Amino acid sequence: MKKIVKWSLAAFSCAALLAGCSSESGTTGENGSTSGGDTTATNDDIRVYSAFMGVAGKELPEDNRINVALAELIGARAEVTWLTGQTAKERIGVMIAGGEYPDLVDASDGYSQMVDAGAFVPLEDYIDDYPNLKALYTDLEWEKIKAANDGHIYTIPTFSSVRGENTETNYGQEAFWIQKRVLQWADYPEIKTVDEYFELINAFLAEHPETDGQPTIGFEVLSDDWRYFALENPPAFLAGYPNDGAAIVDPETLEAKVYDTIPEAKEYFKKLTDEYANGVIDPETFTAKYDQYIAKISSGRVLGMIDQYWQFEQAVNSLRSQGKDELTYIPFGLVLDPSVQPQYREAPALNTNGGLGITVSNDDIEGTLAFLDGVVSEEAMILRGWGEEGIDYEIDENGKFYRTEEQRANWRNTDWVDNNGLDYGYITSYRGMLPDGINAVLPHEQVEEFQANLVDIDLEVLEAYGHEKWADFMEVQDPVYPWFPIYTERGTWTADEPAGIANQKMTEVKMKWLPQIIMGGPDKFEDNWAAYMAEYEDQVDVEAFEGALTEEVKRRVESEKEILEKLGEE
Amino acid sequence: MEKLYMDAAKDVVVKKEKKKKTLATRIWQQKELILIALPFVIYILVFNYAPLVGWTMAFQKYKPALGMFEQEWVGLANFKQLFSDSSFIRVIRNTISMSIINLSLSFFFSITFAVMLNELKNKSIKKVIQTVSYLPHFLSWIIVTGIVLDVLSTETGVINQLLMTFNFIDQPINFLADPKYFWWIVGFSNVWKSTGWGSIIYLSAMSSINDELYEAAEMDGASRLRKIWHITLPGIKPTIFILLLINIGNIMNAGFEVQYLLGNGLVQEVSQTIDIYVLRYGISLGNYSLATAAGIFNSVISVILITIANKFSKAAGEESLF
Repeated sequence: MKKIVKWSLAAFSCAALLAGCSSESGTTGENGSTSGGDTTATNDDIRVYSAFMGVAGKELPEDNRINVALAELIGARAEVTWLTGQTAKERIGVMIAGGEYPDLVDASDGYSQMVDAGAFVPLEDYIDDYPNLKALYTDLEWEKIKAANDGHIYTIPTFSSVRGENTETNYGQEAFWIQKRVLQWADYPEIKTVDEYFELINAFLAEHPETDGQPTIGFEVLSDDWRYFALENPPAFLAGYPNDGAAIVDPETLEAKVYDTIPEAKEYFKKLTDEYANGVIDPETFTAKYDQYIAKISSGRVLGMIDQYWQFEQAVNSLRSQGKDELTYIPFGLVLDPSVQPQYREAPALNTNGGLGITVSNDDIEGTLAFLDGVVSEEAMILRGWGEEGIDYEIDENGKFYRTEEQRANWRNTDWVDNNGLDYGYITSYRGMLPDGINAVLPHEQVEEFQANLVDIDLEVLEAYGHEKWADFMEVQDPVYPWFPIYTERGTWTADEPAGIANQKMTEVKMKWLPQIIMGGPDKFEDNWAAYMAEYEDQVDVEAFEGALTEEVKRRVESEKEILEKLGEE
Repeated sequence: MEKLYMDAAKDVVVKKEKKKKTLATRIWQQKELILIALPFVIYILVFNYAPLVGWTMAFQKYKPALGMFEQEWVGLANFKQLFSDSSFIRVIRNTISMSIINLSLSFFFSITFAVMLNELKNKSIKKVIQTVSYLPHFLSWIIVTGIVLDVLSTETGVINQLLMTFNFIDQPINFLADPKYFWWIVGFSNVWKSTGWGSIIYLSAMSSINDELYEAAEMDGASRLRKIWHITLPGIKPTIFILLLINIGNIMNAGFEVQYLLGNGLVQEVSQTIDIYVLRYGISLGNYSLATAAGIFNSVISVILITIANKFSKAAGEESLF
């Protein structure tokens, strides 16, 4: 009897191990089919591809109405996951270490790591077979992408394709933002300099210490981990340079230079130090996490901040759906010296080192490309932008799309959008006009729709400043140089290169010192600044950093010349 | 005389043969037990030992796109790079400091809590407290750090409000902006999360203490504190020592999530642990070799620490692991 028990135990544990193994391989098999992407038949034989986007985003339920409609239209859908709580490079690094990838990846900052690891499938031999994809870019643009990637197309840029005119109505990039109610209160003053900006905030704050029963906050600078760039990069903008990110580039000498040590940097951080001492800057701003930052802005009590719009967009959506439009923001491209021409707004430029790529874990490359080709077909683009006819929009006798009041109200409501919409924001797409030549791809970029969505305060602000749309508040960079934006090069550095280490050290020094200087008070500013500069020089190999960027600037200028010559010959 | 020796020799031979025989038979006799254990041995080999092949990466300039034998060998270059980096030295200091703080606090609080709970005579209240106290163990760090951030907030944080109400301070303290608080914030977050859970094992050890001991002590007129001191604590001493030994082996792992989630630029010099360093300089900069080298260093130190601690424990006549 005892023996039987023992034997059955032995058999059981062996079986458990085997079962463990097989269920293990079962899960990798399942992963393999969501991540390995063979044509797993879910409901109605719709192919499912896993997709990872190296940016923060919102995951929406897969049975969302428009998601289902789009999947039925093209016979496939993507299961999108987004970056949470870490940097793109960290997440991509972990993926590479594991050697398993989702079917589709937008690696963001981790792009060159993916390329180095051989994780992207080169697509140059396939693209010609997919007319919608091919049409996203001109031959010259495809050539430029190849030129920047040793002759390969690893990814399809997502945001660089604009059809027809640029219909952009919102400004989605970096600026000093200020609440509409502040402008209204001050009778819509022109704001050009950082001094004027803080003067206005100070004046408003003095009269309105509370918002909805909570203390009003003058100014926020998001400082959470990789999102801290709006803390460190203003000196470049203030000095009149565009968003090259890593450095400022002299157009004459083509030399790249760090902007942390220029006079504008010292002047700006001195200003922030004073304003911190005045109590204008939120004391928690340097320790707050992203969620806390969003919560504060969503409460409507933050008067202004410097940031990229996409970082706090969800807070603005939340304010709008509460009907608090006077607490949303207007962008200003500020400078220190009014004679400097600001260049905050980026011109649409081809990003040759980014976008969505197909990974080596994907064993259905053609199916995936067919899916991508499908999502940029006309019908799919309408569905993605406008939704379903009769439910989300109507068509008038001229073929123009419009929404009824009820439909507009629905699309203003974030909960409704979460339950009906699509999370395909980073899946291959184009902007501008639809192929019908009548309608814009995005409803809020259709002039009539944009205007119909404006509430009283919006109309008042636009009229006061003599603008038609929000984007008009910011002037586009001019000229656009061939090396722009140089920060894409910084993303390619690894720890093997001195420049890569220099960049990491630079980040650490700035993350520590900038808040410390600002919180340290005006009396200690000079000492703190000197200590900061000393540590900066000690820790950061500035020469390697600048050298590597300068080299790339020159390479890009040469490469542009070559491609243009080639084009001239043809 | 000679015969005697012969007999003795014969005896030894016989004994040896007997032993040999018994080994084989013993294996045969225990075949079911061995079969039961075998899967787990295989499991350990496959999942804990086979991956050690990856340690070779530390001596290479590893590129993920290349195969195992196409890599460039660089000897100890990665280790040299590690130890010449002042940040690495700093993260070692942070890791060890935070580990020691965590270890002391969690031992102190878990044992105290277990003793107090043990003294509670009402069974149902004891059950409720026990259940409630170990619930935080099941929360993930992302939630716990969210709570910690709220509690420490300068605007709405309960700690600042309490301190202000009782006039200890006039201005709220931004605890997360000051490096001197960080290790303690991590330590007490750990206490909050793990005290209840950690006390379970002590409680079970206490329940095995013979009740007669307490009765006898009572006869002799021992007070409650006396009983705790002379009976309860010595009763759980072996458990304490074993847990201490196991935890000393973990001293190089001060954790990752809590420091990663609570840290910010202002406190990064005290907040970064070895794990965070590996993530920043190894994985996110694509230098997997450096990350592996740091991992090896970690393991080697852990093995040394646990061996030394074990020796000491043995020499002091206490429990030991091996």
